[in-house]
Amino acid sequence: MTSLIIVSVLAVAVLYLGLFKYKTALLPVSVTGLLAAAAMAAMDWDLEKMYFSEMMLFDNYAVAFSILLILTTLLIFGLSRNYFEKISNNVAEYYALMLFALAGGVVMVSFHNLAMLFIGIEILSISLYVLAGIRRKDPASNEASLKYFLMGAFATGFLLFGTALIYGATGSFNLAAIASSGAFESALFRAGVLLMMVGLSFKVSVAPFHTWTPDVYEGSPGLIAMFMATVVKTAGFAAFLRLFLMAFAEASAFWAITVAILCILTLFAGNITAVFQDRFKRLLAWSSVSHAGYLLLAILAVGFSASSAVLVYTIAYSLASVAAFGIMILVSRARGNDHLDSFNGLARTNPFLAFTLTLAVCSLAGIPLTAGFFGKFYVFKVALAQGYTWLVVLAVINAMIGIYYYFKVIIAMYMKENANAVAIQLNPGFRLVLSIVVFLIFLFGIFPGLIANIL
Amino acid sequence: MILVWLILILLLGGLLSWLASRWNVLLARWIALGAVAVNFVLTAGIWFGNPVPVGWVAELDLEWIPRFGIHFHLALDGLSLLMLLLTFFLGMLGVLCSWKEISYRPGFFHFNLLWVLAGITGVFLTMDLFLFYFFWEVMLIPMYFLIGIWGHANRIYAAFKFFIFTQASGLFMLLAILSLYYVQAQQTGVYSFDYFDFLETPLPFKTAQWLMFGFLIAFIVKLPAFPFHNWLPDAHGEAPTAGSLVLAGLLLKTGAYGLLRFVVPLFPEPAMAFAPWGMLMGVIGILYGGKLAFAQNDLKRLIAYTSVSHMGFVMLGVFAFTELAYQGVVMQMITHGISTGALFLLAGMLYERTHTRDITRMGGLWKSSPALGAAMMVFVMASLGLPGLGNFIAEFLTLNGSWPANRLLTALAAVGLVIATVYSLRIMQKVFFGPMPQTWPAADLKPREYLIMIPLIAAIIWLGLFPQKTIETSGHAVTEISLKKGGSR
Amino acid sequence: MEDTLQTIQSIPLEHYIWFSTALFIVGVIGVLTRRNAIIILMSVELMLNAVNLLLAAFSVHHGDPSGQVFVFFIMAVAAAEVAVGLAIIVMIYRNTGSVDIDIMNKLKW
Repeated sequence: MTSLIIVSVLAVAVLYLGLFKYKTALLPVSVTGLLAAAAMAAMDWDLEKMYFSEMMLFDNYAVAFSILLILTTLLIFGLSRNYFEKISNNVAEYYALMLFALAGGVVMVSFHNLAMLFIGIEILSISLYVLAGIRRKDPASNEASLKYFLMGAFATGFLLFGTALIYGATGSFNLAAIASSGAFESALFRAGVLLMMVGLSFKVSVAPFHTWTPDVYEGSPGLIAMFMATVVKTAGFAAFLRLFLMAFAEASAFWAITVAILCILTLFAGNITAVFQDRFKRLLAWSSVSHAGYLLLAILAVGFSASSAVLVYTIAYSLASVAAFGIMILVSRARGNDHLDSFNGLARTNPFLAFTLTLAVCSLAGIPLTAGFFGKFYVFKVALAQGYTWLVVLAVINAMIGIYYYFKVIIAMYMKENANAVAIQLNPGFRLVLSIVVFLIFLFGIFPGLIANIL
Repeated sequence: MILVWLILILLLGGLLSWLASRWNVLLARWIALGAVAVNFVLTAGIWFGNPVPVGWVAELDLEWIPRFGIHFHLALDGLSLLMLLLTFFLGMLGVLCSWKEISYRPGFFHFNLLWVLAGITGVFLTMDLFLFYFFWEVMLIPMYFLIGIWGHANRIYAAFKFFIFTQASGLFMLLAILSLYYVQAQQTGVYSFDYFDFLETPLPFKTAQWLMFGFLIAFIVKLPAFPFHNWLPDAHGEAPTAGSLVLAGLLLKTGAYGLLRFVVPLFPEPAMAFAPWGMLMGVIGILYGGKLAFAQNDLKRLIAYTSVSHMGFVMLGVFAFTELAYQGVVMQMITHGISTGALFLLAGMLYERTHTRDITRMGGLWKSSPALGAAMMVFVMASLGLPGLGNFIAEFLTLNGSWPANRLLTALAAVGLVIATVYSLRIMQKVFFGPMPQTWPAADLKPREYLIMIPLIAAIIWLGLFPQKTIETSGHAVTEISLKKGGSR
Repeated sequence: MEDTLQTIQSIPLEHYIWFSTALFIVGVIGVLTRRNAIIILMSVELMLNAVNLLLAAFSVHHGDPSGQVFVFFIMAVAAAEVAVGLAIIVMIYRNTGSVDIDIMNKLKW
């Protein structure tokens, strides 16, 4: 709870710093504040405290995901030095809005009441509507912002209607009360679960509600897209899982088949479309859709160490995405666009960047020695434990498709040449963040026990 | 503990070599050579200390991910020992043959080469199936880079094809491993990926059959057996010399090793049921590979197809289920590694001299480089199965062991030896004899190339004349495997 | 006060559910078929109001005030959302001179 307060206060403080033109203080203050927030979150470990008449519950699940969200934001801030200054005069708003969004994310992973779920999602989403459109003069950014807003508001409608129906069926918004209400057979309850599923599917871009994802990712500034792909996705899935685990677990026989179908649709939609992309940012966007599919696999395995699997997967995915988006930003800034040809010869001009991106892409594709391999292994494992063999077979086929398109960028970097490519300059922030990411991807790839035992 | 060092030395050697190349390329090459040589000496040390190993010579079992019952479990028996000796022997030659050939980013090259070797070493040692899959995949990426960066003209396509084939089949194996894990947990309540636990688990026939296919597909793609051989000529043909050497000499052996170590002991009944088909695939591979080899003009592709043919004998022997045939398979793995490896090395040397791989454009080279020709002659003879050279022993044992299992198929496989004679002699005929279409710069073997060739020739002759030593080394392990036949558990 | 409560309760709950559902579906259809960003926004508001009505009805039915509190949450958050949404639409109008979402097709897969 203290960490949530710190993040919120920090966001307001950063706004004031911007007001009084302390631009140089923005980054240090934000970073220090986030470190403090992460530390305070860690202090809540094993305490299982309830707040606000059981509206929020800081259990280990909430703490683990809060820390993940905070640290991912920290990594993104590490890359943001001199980034926002180039696209806007009001730098403080960026930091403030991202911090507000993060606060929303923390609420989303620690709710114990449907009202808090709604509020968390809205805090996160409203900040992001603004962030997506923050390049005001850029038509692509405008379009991304509007699409994201309309889709987001639309999805909120479904989420709320579902909430209302569940309230009608069970008489409570409290997750524990819903779980113990025994109203799982009623039509109201079932319709409510399905509608909430639709609403959440929009937010975490699960097919067939994913169509906004590539457009919004592409139109938004690179760092914001990175934030959406990592923090927002993690928070969304943590909320999804928390809701279904804590409130709807008893009714899993009813919704599991729907989730399984969504999972297949998402996997195929994401992976097959990604194959045809020739711009790296869109490729990453589509691949992020496909990763939502793998995460749904874990949700199917309700109770069966699903939360641990989702945590491991999102850690691996966030790390790899930070690296991949970060390098995409560097390359598109230096070479003018994010077309796959722009990566040609990167191995010669910037061996470190090429190596990092290779590692990130291998982690996304799930190749051993990287954290991503273990994430995939874990979700497959929990799904198999529930007897979804056919689903895992389809997911494995998708993993193969994934390898095909992820390797396109490796081929470009290592096996194609670009005669007039010059080395890309890295600022210290990038160097530090990318080094940390490389280290962590290897560390969790070789000693996966470190993250597998958290939850 | 020594088993971990075998892997660590290679991994660290690769990193060091990469770092060193920033200052001194020669130093990088020496580091790579040194790392593999140290491993070779260590393994040879184990061998001399234990010439007739019984059971597990060395073992290491550490907890890795206790939550899932995953262990870092390495163990070494006679079979692994032989495979490791082959690995490090060919590994040294791989570094040596790249000494002059690879000048583009040599540090990264040696990094990849050593990491492939590390992955292979891991595959031959590990006794935990999760770890096995881990190493199985670890060797792919560096190999992909070896082909894709330093290969010939069509390298990107070849590297990709190699990667997709092996990765896709590997994922099926992962699925099978995971299912096996759960089936075992259901039956016995033990959550473990350990090989020895799996050996104890009784499986219903249907389940075992499906699981076996998961493993089988990974191994026979890697081997490769007949319908899955498609990736091999491209990958072998386009890879740099050291890459072809490692591919043909070692990577294919991991498939054969997997069949022997996992498919037969873990799923004896379904493997028996599959045996006629397996043997048939082997024979088709022998004949079809031989036929295609005869039709090639590209020297490296030709040798690649001979691999398909030779690996057919492995399939035949594995599914014959006799101890004799298993001995033949082990011999075939080693001798094929040496002879085909040598042929690829020679093809690389020819390419350095003539800058072509097209044998119709070569000819009459015997005059200018007789020593090269003589070396080629030895390995061509080995490849066609001349008595006195290692391959003869291997093929003889395999055929002899398969005869009781299926006479018709064994007889057909023997026809493969005739085809081998035809395509092998065609190499000599086209490259070293006949008219010389253009004059090549006269260049015979250089000292470094002698250094590569002499150990290979010595090894193949030694294996041909004194096979007893090798057979004794793997004897106990092979007996163990053949005892599994027919549902002995 | 008692009067209103009784009046509300005298109508069967099903009627509220069907009415809200109908209202919600009208909103959904509006979002899917209209091309003007502002009308889409209004349709979304219609969806939210259907939810509010339903929540109030359920709240009375269960005799539990938390449903009505939720309505306040929704109204507050929806106001914030509309503020941001209108700002985005104004921004787009300044750049393009139109609020038709069909001109928003620069980004295609």
